Amino acid sequence: MYNKVTDDVVKKLVAICGEKYVTTSEPLRHSYMARGIMGLEAVLPEAIIRPANADEVSRVLVMANEHLIPVTPAAGGLSGGFALPAIEPGGIYMDMTRMNGLEVDVENRVMVVEPGLKSGDAWRIFKTKYPEWAPPIPDGAPPAATVLGDAIERGFSLVTGVYGPQADMIMGLEVVLPTGDVLRTGSWAVPGAKPFYRWGPGPNPDGLFLGSQGSMGIITKAAIKIVPHPHFKTVVAYGGESFEDIVKPTWEVSKHELGIADRCVMVQGGNWQLVLTRWPKTNVPLDYEFYKKMGMSEYWMNYEIWAWSQEELDFTLKKIDEIYKAYEVKANTKCPQQYLHPKQIASRLKKPNKIAIPYALWEAGFLFITWYCPWLESANMMEQYCAKMEEYGFPPTMWVASIDHGRQAIVMPIVCFDSTKPGIYDKIREFNLETTKSFLKQGWLNYRPDPFVHAPETFSLAKDYYKMLVKFRKVLDPNLILHPGRLAIPWEAVTKLPNPCGEPKASESKVSKPTKPQVKK
Amino acid sequence: MTSTLEDLRMINARCIHCRACQYAYSGEPDREGQTEEYTGMIQGCPAGLYYGWEGYFNSGKQWIARAFLNNEIKPSKELLEVVEACTTCGNCETQCENRIDTVSVTEALRAAIIEAGIEPLAKHKKFGEMVGNDLLRNPYNEPREKRTDWFAGAKDRKDVKVAYFVGCTGAYRQQHIAKHTASLLKKLGIDFTVLTSEVCCGSPMLRTGQKAIFEDVMRKNIELFKNYETVVFSCAGCFKTFRNDYPRISGKPLPFKVQHTMELVRDNIRSGKLKITKPYSKTVTWHDPCHSIRHVGIAIEKDILSRSNNWLTDARTAEKAKEAWFELPREVMKAIPALQLKEMYRVKGDSFCCGAGGGVKAQFPDMALATAKERLKEAASTGAQVLLTSCPFCVTNLSDGIKALKEEEALSHKKLPGSDLEVVELLQLLDQLI
Repeated sequence: MYNKVTDDVVKKLVAICGEKYVTTSEPLRHSYMARGIMGLEAVLPEAIIRPANADEVSRVLVMANEHLIPVTPAAGGLSGGFALPAIEPGGIYMDMTRMNGLEVDVENRVMVVEPGLKSGDAWRIFKTKYPEWAPPIPDGAPPAATVLGDAIERGFSLVTGVYGPQADMIMGLEVVLPTGDVLRTGSWAVPGAKPFYRWGPGPNPDGLFLGSQGSMGIITKAAIKIVPHPHFKTVVAYGGESFEDIVKPTWEVSKHELGIADRCVMVQGGNWQLVLTRWPKTNVPLDYEFYKKMGMSEYWMNYEIWAWSQEELDFTLKKIDEIYKAYEVKANTKCPQQYLHPKQIASRLKKPNKIAIPYALWEAGFLFITWYCPWLESANMMEQYCAKMEEYGFPPTMWVASIDHGRQAIVMPIVCFDSTKPGIYDKIREFNLETTKSFLKQGWLNYRPDPFVHAPETFSLAKDYYKMLVKFRKVLDPNLILHPGRLAIPWEAVTKLPNPCGEPKASESKVSKPTKPQVKK
Repeated sequence: MTSTLEDLRMINARCIHCRACQYAYSGEPDREGQTEEYTGMIQGCPAGLYYGWEGYFNSGKQWIARAFLNNEIKPSKELLEVVEACTTCGNCETQCENRIDTVSVTEALRAAIIEAGIEPLAKHKKFGEMVGNDLLRNPYNEPREKRTDWFAGAKDRKDVKVAYFVGCTGAYRQQHIAKHTASLLKKLGIDFTVLTSEVCCGSPMLRTGQKAIFEDVMRKNIELFKNYETVVFSCAGCFKTFRNDYPRISGKPLPFKVQHTMELVRDNIRSGKLKITKPYSKTVTWHDPCHSIRHVGIAIEKDILSRSNNWLTDARTAEKAKEAWFELPREVMKAIPALQLKEMYRVKGDSFCCGAGGGVKAQFPDMALATAKERLKEAASTGAQVLLTSCPFCVTNLSDGIKALKEEEALSHKKLPGSDLEVVELLQLLDQLI
């Protein structure tokens, strides 16, 4: 269906981006691979380019359409750092790291970021120039993860407990469509207008690009809300005897939304294995008794609190404590406050941080699989996940965070494995498939669908939704050149399951004949 | 003993491509600095900064190594050129939360490519031939018999417990450092000798993947020095090679104790035997040599963890021991009256390389110079007059950087940061003050 990158194509890429920013070097192409953190699938791209601006991106897409060559855009990737490698059928890989601009408008409380801006850089700039404001960078992701990568994937931020998924912070996008046209959304659509009103002049197409994993358009700028940054902060943690014990009191804290809930910017927790599996399994006590002696409950929830004064902070802590005490009585359980050393508190308050990285020490590799579900259902989901992980021989490491005052939970098992072990990827796939089938039946949703497991399984159930996506996709990307296969579009690129659309294979349809879109300058 | 790429397969497999390794202070986003440029996490990889492509950063290199291990990429000159363009400074190793031995993986990958039949890169091959040549045994094409010509004392003594391993740069290119070190040792009351049969420590060979030659010189040096109690060093690279690499590659502990001369000075200061009275009334900044500071610190930390069955409780102890090592030159500088130390932003484990190491200066001189200039700019930002360090190779490359800045100034008629700095070797300064 697609063509290969020829010498002629490389010459054209060089004419657009400059010789310094185009390579077909085999070792350099291998350096863009990644299997782990957020996905296991990756293939070698045929050429890498590093465009400087939206105009170059646009011209490359026009050329790729003419030659019917797939294009994968990526910068820092997702919350895991770098996690958007090319998948079949390879093609041109667009490394967006050169586009790393940041503009801050404190009056309108918005920042405009380019794809290559990394969380650590954004944090540094705010710290020195705008200390009263914070960029909503991802929490727990390494500093090289990009702000935009997190936002457009609808990930979570350091204030996600209050403000919701990161995509909710977006006020406008600049998108280079697969045809090369450049589109601005929200109030930005009007030339000269500031990105102050997300919904713009009419129906808003943002949702088509957010979560599309680069398959509907290349976002070259995003206007994202910035948040106030009060400097009275702390972290408090409560333990529990079950997942229920950490989920239910959080709901009690969060459900009123105003008041104390609005100061709990990040609420996250998990089980004791979150600590255990950060170390090599040969060099750490494996028995919970050791951790119990350290004063650690089997389950716990952390509340990161931001306030305008010490009084406000103390009041919030007091109220949370009261809620926990009332819950203990009501549920006849124990939820002891966990002792946190000042260094632990400082470490949790540090943004961005590297807390999510060391799970490869357990053996040699790990995978985050992330799901959204209604908050009060998350305990059930975590119980099921842990049981299944143990059945498959993985340590049951589980993490959860409250999104938007406990409206949703983001539930994330951390699957620690030995990536050098033959057959391990098949085993993970089997585990992933079994849990996905079960969870979809229970109405839960994967947050970043894996093209080989989650997307086919989800779309097999949500057929009408998938058909609509395909229609939009074909309007936006008539030749299907942008990251094909990433969202199981076209279907046959990733699965042998029956196509829920019942459409002919892409190779037999009109999409195999390339069109020649014109670039709007 | 983990010396081949295959030995490191499990360790390499820990890389999740998070790219924290591209930065200095990747774990300290709130670190205070004097300017926006030097605040929080900042770029820390010389090769990545210079070339820009992912493959030049450690994060990309780990995935190239994985592809090589899995036979997904064939050995080629093109591959070797990418992999060799790295100073092996180890900043990436400091940053890695999965504790990947990044430098060992890079060096092992270089060796594996060469062992698979690819010739070392031109300059590397040349100094490999020179070190392998019995008449030379140094990468500077200098006659072996002149190796200790700089030394006026008695050579090859067997009646002393201490031998001074001079290294090729001290012996042939920075002889003033060797002379000052010898003088300093004498002032410290150490009865020592130098050996005329000393051969290159092998560091450039190991760094550039020429392992057979490295193993040959390693065996020769161990044999040569085995009857001495202590071997002392002035060269950061030789010290690191003996201390860290010889036991790792040979699989055996060294038959002698190794110490950097700076340690001897520090020990004498601590014990009260040495008190520096002569003042040094200058504002200085300190450049941590990657080999003797970062690499040794990391090795100390790893050594403690290798003996621990509970990293959760011992990791902090190991880290403290590493940090204590980083204080070594600082303790010495504090003992110098009137010396005003103004630290650069990137220091200790997060220090930015001078640009010379890993075979880069010979094979990729432009990158080496660009890296030196970047470091000089940072040094100049402290307002210091003097850039102190303790490594002959750092002294050479940073001095070359200043020379290049002066040439650029002459052409552009613009003042460039760092061009006024004076590079001084700390051992030389100590000899002058004691």
